[in-house]
Amino acid sequence: MTTVIKAATTTTAPADEAASAVLLAGRAAQDCLTEARLSPEAVGVLINVGVYRENNTFEPAIGAMVQKEAGMNLDYLAHPVPGAAAFSFDLMNGACGVLNAIQVAQALLTTGSTERVLVTAADVHPSGRAALDADYPYADLGAALLLERSAQSEGGFGRVQLAGSQSASAVAGYLPTAGMGSTGRGRITVRQDEGFAEQLLDLAAGTTLEYAKAEGIDLHRTLVVSSRPTPDFGTHLAARLGLPAFLVLTPEVPQGRTGLPHTAAPILGYLQALEQGLPADVDQFLFVAAGAGPSVACVSYRPQEGS
Amino acid sequence: MTSDVGYSRFEALGAYLPPAIQSTPDLVASVAQVPDVPLERITGVRERRVYDPRPEAGEDSYGLALKAAEDALAHSRYQGAELDVVISTSITRFKDGDDFYFEPSFAALLAKELGAHRAIHFDLSNACAGMLSGVYLLDRMIRAGIVRNGLVVSGEQCTRVAQTAARELVDSYDPQFASLSVGDSAVAVVLDRSVDEADRIHYVDLMTSSEFSHLCLGMPSDQSEGIALYTDNKKMHNKDRLRLWPAFHGGQLAKQGSTFADEAFDYVIQHQVGTRFVDFVNQTGASEFDSEMPESLTGVEVFGNTATTSHFLVLHQHLTEGTARQGAKYLMVPAASGIVTGALSATITNLGV
Repeated sequence: MTTVIKAATTTTAPADEAASAVLLAGRAAQDCLTEARLSPEAVGVLINVGVYRENNTFEPAIGAMVQKEAGMNLDYLAHPVPGAAAFSFDLMNGACGVLNAIQVAQALLTTGSTERVLVTAADVHPSGRAALDADYPYADLGAALLLERSAQSEGGFGRVQLAGSQSASAVAGYLPTAGMGSTGRGRITVRQDEGFAEQLLDLAAGTTLEYAKAEGIDLHRTLVVSSRPTPDFGTHLAARLGLPAFLVLTPEVPQGRTGLPHTAAPILGYLQALEQGLPADVDQFLFVAAGAGPSVACVSYRPQEGS
Repeated sequence: MTSDVGYSRFEALGAYLPPAIQSTPDLVASVAQVPDVPLERITGVRERRVYDPRPEAGEDSYGLALKAAEDALAHSRYQGAELDVVISTSITRFKDGDDFYFEPSFAALLAKELGAHRAIHFDLSNACAGMLSGVYLLDRMIRAGIVRNGLVVSGEQCTRVAQTAARELVDSYDPQFASLSVGDSAVAVVLDRSVDEADRIHYVDLMTSSEFSHLCLGMPSDQSEGIALYTDNKKMHNKDRLRLWPAFHGGQLAKQGSTFADEAFDYVIQHQVGTRFVDFVNQTGASEFDSEMPESLTGVEVFGNTATTSHFLVLHQHLTEGTARQGAKYLMVPAASGIVTGALSATITNLGV
């Protein structure tokens, strides 16, 4: 048994609308189900990994509200079908969220806890307008990834590796509540310490090389899909890994949008790789995510025959 | 990683309670615009613990969580360096005093501080079902063979929403009324593989009925400086919502050919919303399952509603005080915004507390 990608989508808010993480993730979830030709009842667990959300909402889980948007198990009493219940929650680990969620999904699918796991990754500025806050580096963007079990033993996701660092945080996102007055719903502080990009590059390159060695991965036959903590992160990571630049893809936000992709980056990168087509002699992906903590996560993915 | 290795168990449990106590009359006296709210009569909460705001006390959400994690490890056979995973589930994420954190994850920072250098780490947010959701995931990760053990931890500065409510409440029907029943605390639990039926999580199944996900919302206030919780209490805890647990749990048991009576639980721990709520849920369960309820353990009278930590705080209190016996079979039932419900069944015999 292995875990595979059934469908993947990204979403942006209309330019004249305040962005909502719930709506972006909800639309991405619906599009993902449509692409997979599945009804909402086919998904047992929804994991939302977005970090920044409208109004700085901290309860309930954004995942529960995304589940409602996607029409999954609205009321168990109205449809009390054992096995058709859905469970959702937020998993938060900065830029590494999607890769953490893949590992959690592997556990849920391996133990037969569910047939499919839907991962949503949407970040928006708490005010709904990222473009209006020059100090906020991320784009208002959503994405979804539908994972399921495959009976084939070849291909799919490999082992997920997560590495932390003893360095200081490097990146932090928080609401300073002292002094916020009554404006806390629309404010956020993202602090990037001096040298944070170097710290993340060191950890990302070291963890990737260690992972490739441990898993027997030939990086020259692999497309590295990396998160994008800085605009030129991919170029520097390729140099650190000793790879030509075209073997490291860091995703661009959709045209007309500003800011960097955050938790949605691995899904956005995967879709851009499929759109562009894999380079010659490349037959697998290596997802690398680097962010706050500092933390870095890696996982390999080999599409199955016929998928 | 292709097979289920069996079961997990609770290996160690830790807790931390701020020493400062606030009585309900003292809290009621601080409610600016509504005199003499009959809070104790409605909720059954006599007092609650309240964090110390001085930085040196280390009682922000992160500091509270760290103290509980250290307590759990003090009762565990594992050192921090031996932990395979750290999952943090705080709803209130205050660190460095008044900063409400979204990243990095508390789990990454706790793992670093506990010496859990090789641990997988992530935060999990699922309202008051956070700790049980963390246990659900850790149970599945252990059973899938991805990890051998792990820590689930939560520290909550819940009384911050009570402070906002005391400033802003206009009458007892105000959506912030439920915020007056909360208390501060932290818990942490270590899980590893079960090799003995006497120490085993038999199952943990959770469900979100998302139609009701907008009935309880937490966010910064737009009236004054502070975080606030807005709850439609009437809809959130009406009779139909209370039937979600027996309907779902009963359905899961039926799939396995079991009934509630067959499970022979010794104790039930409901989410600690208030004494009346606990009674109502148990009465609903007895009626829907057509079965007597096991002995109900509570702590809400002296701790208030402590959000994510409530089930494990009650378990910790009763085990350390000897009012619950080790070797018994426990049922924990979450009731959280989302709306999340479900059931955790475990036999607990050698839990370090």
